[in-house]
Amino acid sequence: MFELIKQVGEARVGRVVTNRGEILTPVFMPVGTRATVRGVHQHELMRMNSQVILSNTYHLYLKPGMVVLKNAGGLHKFMGWEKPILTDSGGFQAFSLAGLREISEQGINFKSHIDGSKHMFTPENVIDFQRVIGSDIVMPLDECPAYSESKNYIEKSTERTIRWAERSRVRFENTSPLYEKEQFLFAITQGGVHKDLRESCSKLLIEMNFDGYAIGGLAVGESEEVLYETLDFASSCLPKEKPRYLMGVGTPSNILNAIERGVDMFDCVIPTREGRNGRVYTKGGTLSIRSARYANDFSRLDEEIESSASHFSKAYIRHLLTINEMLGLMLCSIHNVVFFLWLAGTAREKILDGSFKFWKEEFLATYDKN
Amino acid sequence: MKFSVLCVRGHGARLGRLSSVGHQGSKMLDTPMCMLYTRGGSAPYLGLDMLRKMENIPPVAHIALSHLSDHYEAVQAFQEGVAKFTALKDHLVFTSLHDPAVEVHSGFNEKSGIAIWGKGGKTKIDVDLFIKMQEALLPDWYQALSDGDTSKDTSRKRAGKSVQRTLTFLDQIVERHSQSERLKNSALFGVIEGGYSEKDREHSAKETSARPVSGFIIEGFHNMGPKSEQFRISDVSAIIQKTLNCLPEDKPRLMHGVWPPDQVLEAVELGIDIFDSSYPYLVTERGAALTFSHQYSMNSVSDSEIGHTGFEMDLKDKRYFDDLTPISAHCTCYTCHKKFTRAYINHLLNTSEILAGVLLMIHNFHHYFQFFKSIHSALEENKFEELKEAIQQQKTSVISKDT
Repeated sequence: MFELIKQVGEARVGRVVTNRGEILTPVFMPVGTRATVRGVHQHELMRMNSQVILSNTYHLYLKPGMVVLKNAGGLHKFMGWEKPILTDSGGFQAFSLAGLREISEQGINFKSHIDGSKHMFTPENVIDFQRVIGSDIVMPLDECPAYSESKNYIEKSTERTIRWAERSRVRFENTSPLYEKEQFLFAITQGGVHKDLRESCSKLLIEMNFDGYAIGGLAVGESEEVLYETLDFASSCLPKEKPRYLMGVGTPSNILNAIERGVDMFDCVIPTREGRNGRVYTKGGTLSIRSARYANDFSRLDEEIESSASHFSKAYIRHLLTINEMLGLMLCSIHNVVFFLWLAGTAREKILDGSFKFWKEEFLATYDKN
Repeated sequence: MKFSVLCVRGHGARLGRLSSVGHQGSKMLDTPMCMLYTRGGSAPYLGLDMLRKMENIPPVAHIALSHLSDHYEAVQAFQEGVAKFTALKDHLVFTSLHDPAVEVHSGFNEKSGIAIWGKGGKTKIDVDLFIKMQEALLPDWYQALSDGDTSKDTSRKRAGKSVQRTLTFLDQIVERHSQSERLKNSALFGVIEGGYSEKDREHSAKETSARPVSGFIIEGFHNMGPKSEQFRISDVSAIIQKTLNCLPEDKPRLMHGVWPPDQVLEAVELGIDIFDSSYPYLVTERGAALTFSHQYSMNSVSDSEIGHTGFEMDLKDKRYFDDLTPISAHCTCYTCHKKFTRAYINHLLNTSEILAGVLLMIHNFHHYFQFFKSIHSALEENKFEELKEAIQQQKTSVISKDT
């Protein structure tokens, strides 16, 4: 499933092999929550050679629902994307988006944020749902505690995550893929910022032999310093020969610093969410394209990064955004995703030729200049 | 620009050819034709790569001044014209005053200038500003400044005023055009006004055709926007007939509006040559896909659905929730060809996702442009009546939901 190709310091280049294609790591995964990457359609994702996308079990469960997905032959067929898909379990959404949710040992009881209907997610049925979705990489139901919770709470929550992981694994082993393509199951390590909890959690999950390990419960409000310190430790607890996935991260600086600390996979809504608001990511930092200073700026969004937005000038894209024409925000989102893919791709290149650390310092110096 | 009528079918439907079109003077266009509807200079939802993948894209892109009124200075600073600014350099550009898909607020035109409405509100355009904008945009054809704020209930007096003002603007524009270095390769279209008053229409037509214009725009029957989809050209066919009788045969006639297929054919039959494509855009915005068949030969495969009437399919409807077939089995557009299903589009509409608009716009433009291709071949093969019949049969009371 995973092959480590090269390691320099803690930074790694690897290859995740699935039935639907290979994924070279480090990799950035665009987020397609509801069976579409918002503002970036499948044709564009192919053009920019995105290796994999992410989708979300909670949202898909509510709309379009499992019946339609099953009849369609799985999410890949439903949305017209033939390459790998990783699905998040939806635990985080059930916890944070839904109304009136209750966590018990059984699972999460919640009310749909759309129409208030009652539902239950358990470690078992979340595996079942992802079998119906047919994603190549499946995430188990976990509990994601807030950063502000007490250590005691986090300890209890982590223990539950481990018990849920075990139940998920059992269910996974007792079921099979529905569409004849192999699926892989990752585990999510928790423990907040507490090293002892992280260590024990990782140990127990490693014994259960998952296909990969996500680092959950970070980038939830802690400072960057604490994030990186915990990350250093958390990734050192994880086996070398399996991929490491840092969920929900992050800014270009976060990503490069995490790569340096041994992380292989990333997902984040920043490129698409901020793209929709006219916030554009370039090698020289971020810019707010709606600003009047770009009214007569006929240069491209980024001179070196080629995307579907490259045909157009900043002035024109600004114009489209100002008249509320959809194409404006689509172009910004496309550009941003291409930028993040470029970032991960270049990181791979630089790790392979041994210049990653040097390149990272140089890139961040230019990026942070403004 | 030169225009010649190759033949006339039935009552007045014309197969025509425009030649020496454009700044290079090298393009040739067949009519009846529609233009590519754009918002601010780009086809809605479509970047260049997607646009280039589509078949039969109209060579003329239609840009409304109302989308550029707040930004024409940017185009001016750019200096190389709006086609390059919007990356539409493979296209010819036609500039109209208003966007046919957006209703124009009534009562704001004056003797000195016309109100156009952009995102930032109202801009009053007098002849000076008008010429300045066109010199910045460098269109291949452009609509002269005109007062089209008339409709069925307009008084005779007001209708007369609209004709008078429009002619006054035209004379000033003709003069400025002849002196303008930047506009020397752009073709000017005169505008026929007059509301529902036959006499004023005839006067407008006679006077406008006496000026050196390359073509005619006939407007002033309604105020554009989604409501104008209900406009029935048969209500004014006598007036239009009389108007066209006063115009020379060898110049093209253009009408703006939201054009459903049956109305297009009625207008073609009267002798209108050029249309815009705002209709497929409005259909997209209401979450529907065009499905009307434009086959006109006896033994061709019918594309119409069993039990489905009307020109379009409302994909927001619950019945498509688990319909895993494409919009149309015979359609060769990207959306249908890649087998994006009705269920998927229904889901995207249900979750307010942008991709719904992208997929529907691609299909709807494709479908509409294929329709114009059919109009052309039906006229060539002298089967226009069959096409009309085929379209009429599919018509039900197709009223858009928001009226």
